[in-house]
Amino acid sequence: MAVRPASMSPSLPDNTGEIPGQRAPLVLGGLDYAGLTDRVCSIPEQPTAPPAWWATLALAAAGLAGFLCLIGYLVSTGIGVWGNNQPVAWAFDITNFVFWIGIGHAGTLISAILFLFRQNWRTSINRFAEAMTIFAVMCAGIFPAIHVGRPWLAYWMAPYPNQMGMWPNFRSPLLWDVFAVSTYALVSLMFWYVGMIPDLATLRDRARTRMRRILYGLFALGWTGSAAHWRRFECAYLLLAGLATPLVLSVHSVVSFDFATSQLPGWHTTIFPPYFVAGAVFGGFAMVLTLVIPARTFFGLQEVITLRHIENMNKVLLATGCIVGYAYGVELFIAWYSGSGFERFAFANRMGGPMAWAYWIMVGCNVVAPQLLWSKFCRTNLWVTLFVAMCVNVGMWFERFVIIVSSLSRDFVPSSWGGFSPTWVDFGMLAGSFGLFFTLFMLFVRYLPIVAMAEIKHVMPAGHAGDAGRAG
Amino acid sequence: MKPQRGEAIYWRSLGELAGTPEFRAFLEAEFPQPADRPDGPTRRRMLQIMAASLALAGASGCRRWPEEKLVPYAHRPPGRVPGRTERYATAMELGGVAQPLLVTCYDGRPIKVEGNLEHPAGAPAGVFAQACVLDLYDPHRSRFPTRRVEGVAGRREARRHEDFEAFCRPHFAALRTAGGAGLAFLGRETSSPSVAAMRTRIQEAFPQARWHVWESLNRDHEREGARRAFGRVLRTQLRLDQADVIACFDADILGQHPDASRHARDWAAGRRSADQGRMNRLHVIESGYSLTGAAADHRLPASPRDIALLVAALAGRLGVPGAEAPPGMHPGEQAAWIERLAADLGAHPGRAVVAAGPSLPPEVHVLCHAINARLDAVGRTIVLIEDPCAESSSQTGSLRSLVEAMNSGQVGTLVILGGNPVYDAPADLDFPAALARVATSIHLGVYEDETALGCRWHLPQAHDLESWGDARTWDGTITSLQPMIRPLYDGRTVIELLALLLEDPADGPEIVRRTFATLLPAGDFESAWRRVLHDGFLDGSASRPVEAAASSEAVAAALRELRGVSVEPGANPAATTVVFRGDARVHDGRFAHNAWLQETPDPMSTLTWDNAAMISVADAARLGIAQGDVVAIRCGGATLEIPACVMPGQPAGVVALALGGGRTAAGPVGSGVGADAGRLRTCGGLWSAAAEISRTGRTHRLALTQDHHAIDRLGAAERERRVGTLVREGVLEEYAADPQFARKAAHPVPDVRLWEDPAAYDGHRWGMVIDLNVCIGCNACAIACQAENNVPVVGRDEVLRGREMHWLRVDRYFRGDPAAPSPPVAHQPLTCHHCENAPCEQVCPVAATVHDTEGLNTMVYNRCIGTRYCSNNCPFKVRRYNYLDYHSKPPRSGPRPWFGMPDSQQKAEIDDVRKLGFNPDVTVRMRGVMEKCTFCVQRIQAARIAARRQQRGLTDGEVIPACAQACPTQAIVFGDLNDPASRVRALQDHPRAYTLLDELNLRVRTRYLAKVRHPLPTDAPAGHGAIKEHA
Repeated sequence: MAVRPASMSPSLPDNTGEIPGQRAPLVLGGLDYAGLTDRVCSIPEQPTAPPAWWATLALAAAGLAGFLCLIGYLVSTGIGVWGNNQPVAWAFDITNFVFWIGIGHAGTLISAILFLFRQNWRTSINRFAEAMTIFAVMCAGIFPAIHVGRPWLAYWMAPYPNQMGMWPNFRSPLLWDVFAVSTYALVSLMFWYVGMIPDLATLRDRARTRMRRILYGLFALGWTGSAAHWRRFECAYLLLAGLATPLVLSVHSVVSFDFATSQLPGWHTTIFPPYFVAGAVFGGFAMVLTLVIPARTFFGLQEVITLRHIENMNKVLLATGCIVGYAYGVELFIAWYSGSGFERFAFANRMGGPMAWAYWIMVGCNVVAPQLLWSKFCRTNLWVTLFVAMCVNVGMWFERFVIIVSSLSRDFVPSSWGGFSPTWVDFGMLAGSFGLFFTLFMLFVRYLPIVAMAEIKHVMPAGHAGDAGRAG
Repeated sequence: MKPQRGEAIYWRSLGELAGTPEFRAFLEAEFPQPADRPDGPTRRRMLQIMAASLALAGASGCRRWPEEKLVPYAHRPPGRVPGRTERYATAMELGGVAQPLLVTCYDGRPIKVEGNLEHPAGAPAGVFAQACVLDLYDPHRSRFPTRRVEGVAGRREARRHEDFEAFCRPHFAALRTAGGAGLAFLGRETSSPSVAAMRTRIQEAFPQARWHVWESLNRDHEREGARRAFGRVLRTQLRLDQADVIACFDADILGQHPDASRHARDWAAGRRSADQGRMNRLHVIESGYSLTGAAADHRLPASPRDIALLVAALAGRLGVPGAEAPPGMHPGEQAAWIERLAADLGAHPGRAVVAAGPSLPPEVHVLCHAINARLDAVGRTIVLIEDPCAESSSQTGSLRSLVEAMNSGQVGTLVILGGNPVYDAPADLDFPAALARVATSIHLGVYEDETALGCRWHLPQAHDLESWGDARTWDGTITSLQPMIRPLYDGRTVIELLALLLEDPADGPEIVRRTFATLLPAGDFESAWRRVLHDGFLDGSASRPVEAAASSEAVAAALRELRGVSVEPGANPAATTVVFRGDARVHDGRFAHNAWLQETPDPMSTLTWDNAAMISVADAARLGIAQGDVVAIRCGGATLEIPACVMPGQPAGVVALALGGGRTAAGPVGSGVGADAGRLRTCGGLWSAAAEISRTGRTHRLALTQDHHAIDRLGAAERERRVGTLVREGVLEEYAADPQFARKAAHPVPDVRLWEDPAAYDGHRWGMVIDLNVCIGCNACAIACQAENNVPVVGRDEVLRGREMHWLRVDRYFRGDPAAPSPPVAHQPLTCHHCENAPCEQVCPVAATVHDTEGLNTMVYNRCIGTRYCSNNCPFKVRRYNYLDYHSKPPRSGPRPWFGMPDSQQKAEIDDVRKLGFNPDVTVRMRGVMEKCTFCVQRIQAARIAARRQQRGLTDGEVIPACAQACPTQAIVFGDLNDPASRVRALQDHPRAYTLLDELNLRVRTRYLAKVRHPLPTDAPAGHGAIKEHA
């Protein structure tokens, strides 16, 4: 089946309302099990990819190529190709790291926490979100590795027996980061992959070419769909969900410790762990929406990823956005209430200093824009949703930029105050990381099942056409 | 599933009943039970495999180290221990005044320059002397003679020394037979007895030869003033330690004066006595903010013309004979100022001194001599000596007559002995054009500079550290120069070139010996000569004080001349006065090729790699000029385009221009840095001139190391709020009433700790004290640190990015309203505080910065991977990061990739000559590595080894870090805090001692002593209030 370019609002029944005594359907359009499988599998099974896919991939791959070249330039020349300086020793590098790590959180939240809370609507989007998590963590992981001055020695951060007789410094939050992020990356990858095994087997079984049979077969790990497989699968999936759930909270908490445990005014804040986690979920959902809205339209998945899903995500966006806005307010209050002149100035400087523009972009994008979502019209309007999601993407990047750069630029001793102006390499690497992300994402949507077919079938009432899509 | 015996069971199939293995396998596969266990390794085995993998992962350090062959020192010179440093006494001459030096050599390579404190005129070396070691190893020094290729403009060819000799023998033989007609020499000012002796020989051999001397920062006015006052040229020696009241008129006695180091020491003695309740008081009237102005208790910005009138008024007010009717001056603030100054000076007869700077006209010098006499200063706070190198005529006049002779074709052969007149001669003389008319021009210079390019021959000159020679210090003591190393590039000294021209077979050492043979006792010459070389000076050779009194006729004549000045030339508000001054970093441009100096921040503006027009806040507002706007300064017929730097405390209507910028042939480091203010100088307006200033509409980014007051209002207000707790100061009365006033500027913080220190620090506990009361902000500490610790130079672009590498920086804070006439300023050297509770150490993921058992916060460079987290968490921001490979990168080039093994870059890219100059006791850091002050741990180790060899403990004062050693006022004191008798212990417990950022519980090892100002009681300058506002 060819891809159906569809309008943004196909004429499907509205499943966003609540009818008492009845569960809102999660799959529309009268799809039954086979129909769903056909719909989802048709995407990787197209013999030739549509030109739009090629164009997007080419653009993203060009970005990736540029990214790799810039990494080469950076490693061969030094951190000085960026705009970082003393006192602003971290800038775009760690901003990008925290930004990408944050993006990943929505995926884990959707796959793990919503799974444990039996939020069945997650099934339509979790594959997407998990893939996004993996790719975002890959983007994130690159930055701390290359931001060190001697990246060829970055492995010294790992605790391994060595001839120097040296352990890493376990007091350093950067080391905690290493553990947190690598655990997170591994668990997310396993979660994504384990969840995908039944769908890979479906693709294998439907494969028409030898190559596809071998490759999908290899990764399907011999899945037969037997009861034993299903039992182990469910067990493993539940365990991984349990494992991943604390990670949702811990990873970004640990990342926030980079800042919270330092004594820099503007970083030294106890609210950071919850604030960062909420911000990460916020930013992650915005990115899921940014990806899912074009993708569902492009691949004709409106029946599977319905308006109800979009609206649910918008609700999460609104809730976490409000938490983030509250955190911004509490930060200001505590800075004032602490009575510490350094703290007060750090925040006054954020709001009124030379980089106030970044602060107000952040507030505008993260606090003001999501307020649109109080209106059901906005929540269910794809254009408005996309606009808010884009705002949040920008705003969350600026949030990290503001925290890192504005705090560093003016700390305790005024003689060492400085500023930051990014170089073309800074911008290039930010853009290049999107190139990496979208390259991987485009490959994902082309070659892997982008909707968790097996899981959606769990939430479809039965294989009867008449009841199709009424979730249990 | 096997049925138990006796149980009545039902069965579902025959297979189940039989319990066949096939059935069981099917059952397990189809309906797995929770207890089912996957095949494979057991838990124990799994853990074993994991542990083994982890252990094997450690076996990854597989790097083949490069093979190197060691060559034994087969014939070791007697007494030489490889790797042990040796120190030799020598000197460096600057503007005709020797700076006595003690040079540390490592395996025959001079690597560090200090002042020779055993010298009677000895003082810690200033920035120029300390930086000269970089010049020695400059690969861009002139390496061989060059000769102009006739007929091809701008082409020069490399020649050998023999070629020059082959040319010069017949040439000078011919000149000799002609009696030296058409021969002229142009040298820099020198006090060298050997040069004087060679000059006598030259004049004997070439009787008609002309001899001229030119220094662009000359002391013509000073000498002319003395000549007019006393009838002969006398040099004034200030004895600031004897003075209670000091008044300086455009005299930067603590900054650019040849004897500044000693002045600073003496002045500091009068500041330290604040602890005993008495202090000297420094009044400064000046046309641009200088270090002396920064140290002043009262400072009045004024134009040079006003300064002359103020001095005249002061003379009149003090009743100087002959000055009864001084010319008029502006009533109002200036008059009241002079009134107070006169009263203060008059109240301290015999304990007061006034000094005038070399830029003020001779009349002002006459008046100052008379005032000093009136104040009974002669023999007490000043000592007059015969000027050891006085020329009969003024240098400006001498140069003018030379140029006239060159233009009229009377000079056929010009020998330029060092110096760069093409660059620094007054513009109206048009020296380059005159030089082009000279048929045979020979230039001896350390660099192939502008003058070299204009001469037919250029010869490489030996660096001071490669030279035999002699010179006299400011007090006249004869000081010897001996080479630390054989000339790297076969350079010659002035005396050696003169010997060549005279066909004198003596070499450099022989000529100097010959000179000393006339000075030393004949009987025991050898031992006396060795003693001179060892000590670096001839004992008892200082000039004798002379008695002289300024004549009242001279005073009257001076006042008559000043009366002519006082006539207003028509009040034109747009008229601006430009004043020219030496640059604190490159002097008159001769150090422009020295990257250390180019990157040393100007002490007042913090400007690096540039020069700028210092304009007042009022003028900036009036003319609409912002920081960094390029302005055009028209002066006579010349126009100079130069960026403006808005300078608080600059007098309105006066623009200060530093010389030394805009060099065109100063090598890759110095060429094209800044603008050449010398293009506006004329013979008549060598120091100041009327000018017009206008905007060009262009801007230029000034590489300041510290934000100027052109900061947003929020930041400026916060800085103003904080500076009172960072730099704590009070007035003497306040200090006397409450010795602990400084501690009250911030809230006391309880010493809270969650755990005991892992180290007891019961051996040595190193600590530092910096006395802000005597710190003058001269940067000597910063450059000493740079030389000692192989601190790289980053270049202008990197400074603009905020990546300068100085481990020790001297912060400069103005106080109060920048538009005030003279906002008070304070300097604060800041370097690593070696916090016992160091924030940097806790955040390094690889433990590359750790505490040692003596409390040093150490940096392990080869462990550092460069996360920069330590810097982020450092509240003082004293950590420095190698964003690029700054040692490999030429200072003015941008980032350059290196595709080899990263740690082979420096070996391949740093010039071999430059490698000789590194301190071998300190790692040369590569890119990607954090670095910072180590309290000169290599010096601690060296002292420890020396003490251990003698089986004794370290004594106080044995370990001196480079910064403390270079400080002319001994504001920096280092030592063992566990030693109850140590100076640093006593000073840390001093009532004025305070710590920075106490509230962060850092437990720092560095304390500051608060600054004490001593203004006249009725008139406290703004700024002291900050002490009270936080109490």
